[in-house]
Amino acid sequence: MDAKERYYWDVTGHLVVRDVLSQEELDAVNNVLDYVIGTGIVHQSEDNHGAADSTFLRGTGSRWAHGTSLLELPRPYCDPVRNLLAHPVVVKYLNVMCGKGFRLDHGPQFNNAVKGTAGLVMHGAGEPHREYVAYHHQNGEMYCGGVTVTWNLTDCPEGKGGFASVPGSHKSKFRMPIGVRNCDEDMGAVANPGIRAGDVLFFMDGAQSHGTHPWQNDHDRRSILFKYASRTATRLGPSNAVCHPEIFWDDEIVGGMSMEERAVMYGPCSAPPNDEMFLVVEEDGAVRLENTQEQQAAD
Amino acid sequence: MNARERYYWDLTGYLVLRDVFPQEDVKAANEAIDYLGEVVQSGDESAEVELLRERTRPSIEDGILTRTTNGYPFLLTLPAPHCEPFRKMIAHPEIVSRLNVMCGIGFRLDHGPQFIGGINGTRGGSLHGAGEPHREAVAYHHQNGKAYVGGVTVTFQLGESPTGSGGFACVPGSHKSKYSMPVGVRSQEDEMGVVAEPDLNPGDVLFFMDGAQTHGTHPWTADFERRSILIKYASRTATRSGASQPVSPPEIYWDEEIVEGMTAEQRAVMYGPYSNTRSREMHLEVGEDGVVSLEG
Repeated sequence: MDAKERYYWDVTGHLVVRDVLSQEELDAVNNVLDYVIGTGIVHQSEDNHGAADSTFLRGTGSRWAHGTSLLELPRPYCDPVRNLLAHPVVVKYLNVMCGKGFRLDHGPQFNNAVKGTAGLVMHGAGEPHREYVAYHHQNGEMYCGGVTVTWNLTDCPEGKGGFASVPGSHKSKFRMPIGVRNCDEDMGAVANPGIRAGDVLFFMDGAQSHGTHPWQNDHDRRSILFKYASRTATRLGPSNAVCHPEIFWDDEIVGGMSMEERAVMYGPCSAPPNDEMFLVVEEDGAVRLENTQEQQAAD
Repeated sequence: MNARERYYWDLTGYLVLRDVFPQEDVKAANEAIDYLGEVVQSGDESAEVELLRERTRPSIEDGILTRTTNGYPFLLTLPAPHCEPFRKMIAHPEIVSRLNVMCGIGFRLDHGPQFIGGINGTRGGSLHGAGEPHREAVAYHHQNGKAYVGGVTVTFQLGESPTGSGGFACVPGSHKSKYSMPVGVRSQEDEMGVVAEPDLNPGDVLFFMDGAQTHGTHPWTADFERRSILIKYASRTATRSGASQPVSPPEIYWDEEIVEGMTAEQRAVMYGPYSNTRSREMHLEVGEDGVVSLEG
């Protein structure tokens, strides 16, 4: 990662590395995606899914394949995808962006789109601070908890849809305005960069505000997103499954504990599978579980 | 957590609350430590006691238990009633109300509880942890009126620890330092007057930014025992050590079907999160020939 790339990454929150995949490698991955589409595991959401209240982002349903399914495809189909997992370009950049020992947190996720597919509202930002994906710079070293690496398998011309972001928003200290979030009044802050087939996009997923613009091209959008984390950050992935006290510790340790004691025994995760890990102290000094759902309803 | 406490915590990186743990609970915890010391030094070679020794890895000085490991929460698994005072500690109201502010709601036990004691002459430990280099798992951050810290250790005092007698020592303000700690401060041989050793009494609770604040131990010089229980908390998404390590291997964290047939380099990025990595199996590098390999 050279000085110009470091500057661009720090100032914007994303970076496009050009021409990483050869035509032969592109063909191999696209053949896998042909197979994946043929198996029917690409899910199409209902129309306007992800567009929320936006006018600009409206369109037909989003098309995704979530989870680890691409890594588990029968051979030889998994091989071109596994080749991307610890690709030299990924290692070279993530060793600087996240630090050594970076890891796959979740994904890979196949993002597909056809002409008219809806966009996705901008999400993530420097404020509120979320420590597991936040960006920090100190004494010449950079630290970012969450970086998504997007392998672009078809062309995404600038302004024609696909990945969009708010450059610089990983350092914002004020909340994102609604018009920027839904792109109906984006203040010129949202960029939809041109990315070609074979390019690799790195972005600070969670720290940088990002989303998707509606797809306007006659050809499909095809991108595979790998969601990495730094060594100690926890985003999603298996963390929700292994966080339960009896799994993360064991029965012997947590057996007989009260609900409040169990609450502090959950393992790390950013999107908790339940609200049994949130404690509050009542006015009489007693500790109890916070009913998050009830609280959210009241809000 | 009131405004004065918030100010002191942000300014120094530690906070002492007085008389939090009732004296009857302090007595019960001390009896549990007495029990533990007797059991691990007994001639009992039963599997149960051997397992307890393995999990505690006790340090014994002059026949007195002076330290255990923090890798396994054995104090929570002692036979009743000895586990009870420690279970009372982990979600104590005074702890919850402070950690909900310090770490954020959803804080969790990362590792410990650990017993640290001492007798006259027990050696100190060099100072460690600091704002620089930045370690995101335990770093302190403040933004828009909210404090965020990945790691907080809560120490329940079971014995007196007067200022100047040794025990916990720290560098107030060091959680915000942007320069590496001088060698003399680390070794305490030229500490520049920046190291503090707070006065602590049985029942008091000490919170400190473990990993962000520079801290360590002064040699114990009092004629009575040092006795304290350290409980190592983390914010909801931060990972320090504890149970994170055993669940991190790719076959456990994901599953065998997902990682089966992967190369060593591909497996390297499939380890689950934890911070205390002595293994190089997850550190990758790119050679001049463009090939990815395990570091070293």
